[in-house]
Amino acid sequence: MKKFISWRHPGTISIFRMDDRLLLIGMGIIVGLCSGLAALALNHSLIFMLEFLHDFRHYWWAFLLPAAGAMCSSLFLEKIMNEGAGHGVPEVIYSVSRYGGLIRLRSSISRLVSSCLTIGSGGSAGPEAPVVMSGSAIGSNIAQFFFLNDRQRITLVGCGAAGAVASIFNAPLTGIIFTMEIILGEWSMVNIIPIAVASVAGAELSRTLRGNIIAFESSGSFHIGHPDLFACIGLAMFAALASVLFTRTLRRMHKVSRKVSVPFWVRAAIGGCAVGLLGFMVPEVMGEGYHAIHDMIEGVFKGGIGIVALACLAKILATALTLGWGGSGGIFAPSLVIGSFAGLAYHRLLVFLFPSVMWVSEGCFALLGMAGMMSGILQAPLTGIFLILEITGSYEVMLPLIIVSALSTTMTHYFEPSSFYFKELMEKGQLLRPGTDSRVLADISIREVIEKDCICVRPDMLLREFLYTVQRSTRNYFPVEDQESGQFVGMIRFDQIKPYFFNSVMYDTVIVEQIMDANPDTVHYDDELSEVLNKMDTHGHFSLPVVFNGRFVGMVSKATLLDKYRDELNVQTAHSF
Amino acid sequence: METTIFHVFRNTPLGREILLQSLYFCQQTSSSIAVYIPQHVRFLMYYENDVVQVDLDQSYLTDPETAKEHAIELALSMDVEPRFITPKNFTASTLPDIPVDFDFMCCPRSISDLSTKISLGHIGPKVRRIINSARFPILMPSALFKEWESIIVFFGGSDNSIKALKLGLRLSQITGVPLDMFTYSGGGGTQKNKEHFVEVLREAGLEDIVCGNEDQNAKVREWYFFDGGKFEHNLYRVPHNALAVLGAYGHGVVKDVLFGSTMEMIQTILPNTLLIAGPNYVVPHP
Repeated sequence: MKKFISWRHPGTISIFRMDDRLLLIGMGIIVGLCSGLAALALNHSLIFMLEFLHDFRHYWWAFLLPAAGAMCSSLFLEKIMNEGAGHGVPEVIYSVSRYGGLIRLRSSISRLVSSCLTIGSGGSAGPEAPVVMSGSAIGSNIAQFFFLNDRQRITLVGCGAAGAVASIFNAPLTGIIFTMEIILGEWSMVNIIPIAVASVAGAELSRTLRGNIIAFESSGSFHIGHPDLFACIGLAMFAALASVLFTRTLRRMHKVSRKVSVPFWVRAAIGGCAVGLLGFMVPEVMGEGYHAIHDMIEGVFKGGIGIVALACLAKILATALTLGWGGSGGIFAPSLVIGSFAGLAYHRLLVFLFPSVMWVSEGCFALLGMAGMMSGILQAPLTGIFLILEITGSYEVMLPLIIVSALSTTMTHYFEPSSFYFKELMEKGQLLRPGTDSRVLADISIREVIEKDCICVRPDMLLREFLYTVQRSTRNYFPVEDQESGQFVGMIRFDQIKPYFFNSVMYDTVIVEQIMDANPDTVHYDDELSEVLNKMDTHGHFSLPVVFNGRFVGMVSKATLLDKYRDELNVQTAHSF
Repeated sequence: METTIFHVFRNTPLGREILLQSLYFCQQTSSSIAVYIPQHVRFLMYYENDVVQVDLDQSYLTDPETAKEHAIELALSMDVEPRFITPKNFTASTLPDIPVDFDFMCCPRSISDLSTKISLGHIGPKVRRIINSARFPILMPSALFKEWESIIVFFGGSDNSIKALKLGLRLSQITGVPLDMFTYSGGGGTQKNKEHFVEVLREAGLEDIVCGNEDQNAKVREWYFFDGGKFEHNLYRVPHNALAVLGAYGHGVVKDVLFGSTMEMIQTILPNTLLIAGPNYVVPHP
């Protein structure tokens, strides 16, 4: 039994207690393999569903397939898994920010099944966010099983996300960078090595089971000329515009759907039905849409500028209808499709306007459009660059990729100050990145900074008696408590009552009740320190009394808070680069 | 420092009885009460190494307009001023996060299954998870409000039962009600004699408190020690108006599933209000 217990507490083994990097690397491999397996399972399930439903797509009622898929998906999440679903990736970021990466076990399976139902039936969404959620949940639950601490658990959550991304795209570098840039939001030595190992494990598993496939490999190579580099500026604008439009349509659709007072599963079915109808006109909007990307990169996509632009808008609308109305899935794949449509449309516009210029092939612009779109919507340029490099294998387009990604991120940031994943969290004040003011304050509780060396006085105490108390005290604040009930009735600040001290006539005529502040600002145990500091700044206080259930508990002062703040900041940034 | 009990209020007659138990506990222990009136059928509790999703049954959302009013009315009738908890953080829009920095939590035997509320039933899986993860003890009230006039600690010699004994001693000290102890030394081949339990108490530094005389500062009124008969039959000797304090789930899941748990047996047979200290319960410094 004891051996079993020590096996479940590897953190207590002396070799790992000194330095846990080896432990995290070992765990990272396990998590990377498990999350990679989850990603591959989803991938294969999607292929199976698409093939199974293929024969039914020619019927007139095929538009009902996405409706049925979205309905089953929402019912599965709500009724079977009891998930209370969010989007997936923001939930992972939230748990990392606030709760040391604690994620429910059910999340490791729920999004895989629900997104499979949504996407497999034709809904417009991507499988990447669900596998990130699943991988992260696997990492978190393995860490919980082995009783790892918060920091180690966060690292394993990152390992799960990296392994899943690396496996589904066969892109280990993207797995690492996506995790560091988006999920964790910090580049620290202790994290990066296990995450890199997990990413390699996930990618290697994918290569073993699926073969070393590059998702969107182009048959030819791209020769970038100077005009193409200049054109990248315009492409970045196009991509940024598409990113902003996509983000806002998604949000808008969420709000619109909430106003429709029907059961959640009917709502999901309505969204799916609309996507099915849209799919009759623009078939490229259905599912994850990777076929369309293949065609565009190969330069064999049919249709003129108008059709391509229409497909781009239709894909935005279809994704918003799928996700905004209750379907399950992510925005990675739709972003790639929309980006490639935007790139292709831009290329065709350039050829139309400047027919005599030797432009690079349209496949290259489709590829650059994907990078611009990813960078814009995620506001994570490195993820955009490395993802496109790895999934296309087109390393010769590195320079324009950097230009488009950097510019698209900057331009999108002007209209949408935060990425799609962060926006809701930022609005609620729940995006707490390590080493930031909000995170440091969130990690300190009032109980940790409370000072209890105050001397309480009675309301009926004479000023003379109070003077003796002041002599004994080292503090300038004196809480006043009712002698019988122990209730907090007021506060005396030494600087406010100085005039009374120099008038000896007052000593035996004035009592504490007469000179106290009967309605002072107070704080409660549950208050967050950011609120407490705001209160201090607004009213010019240096200390505030903590009152709990009508009783004085102690004082919170800026000086003590600063000491604790520095300690916490040192802890949070100790391992950063 | 004052302690706080966390209570999830349900606006039904059963919920009223359970709230009355919590309020009585507050009265006795000079604790304050934090009441949560659910707006959604589920919430999350993030513990140190676990996140527990509590899926409430629909009765928790009964008549939300009068819920707060009823809770205040009941609390004031027992001279307790309630504090209502409004979740600040949400994992998803319908999934609030409830803080876990309380000293006690009141939890019926099952909070997600209506069928068990009319009998003692089994402890629901969610409540079991809460007991397993929480650093605070769980007050599991009887179906009908009843004042308790003594405290009885179930002491089986394990680490968890030592924690339960310390909890019982603390409560007895705060409330001033007498403290008894209940030990069943086990039937068949696993039987242990009383000296074994005294030795365990000695190692924990509690021997004088339990076995000593008044001069030695003894705090335990009576030690019900049974070395014969069936455990469930001996439970008849537990006073009907006692608060039963016990440790729980110190063993692994496998052992519990295969051989059953003493705690499960106690809660199935004993209709008293229970106070359960889980394996992660931390005994506060005096």
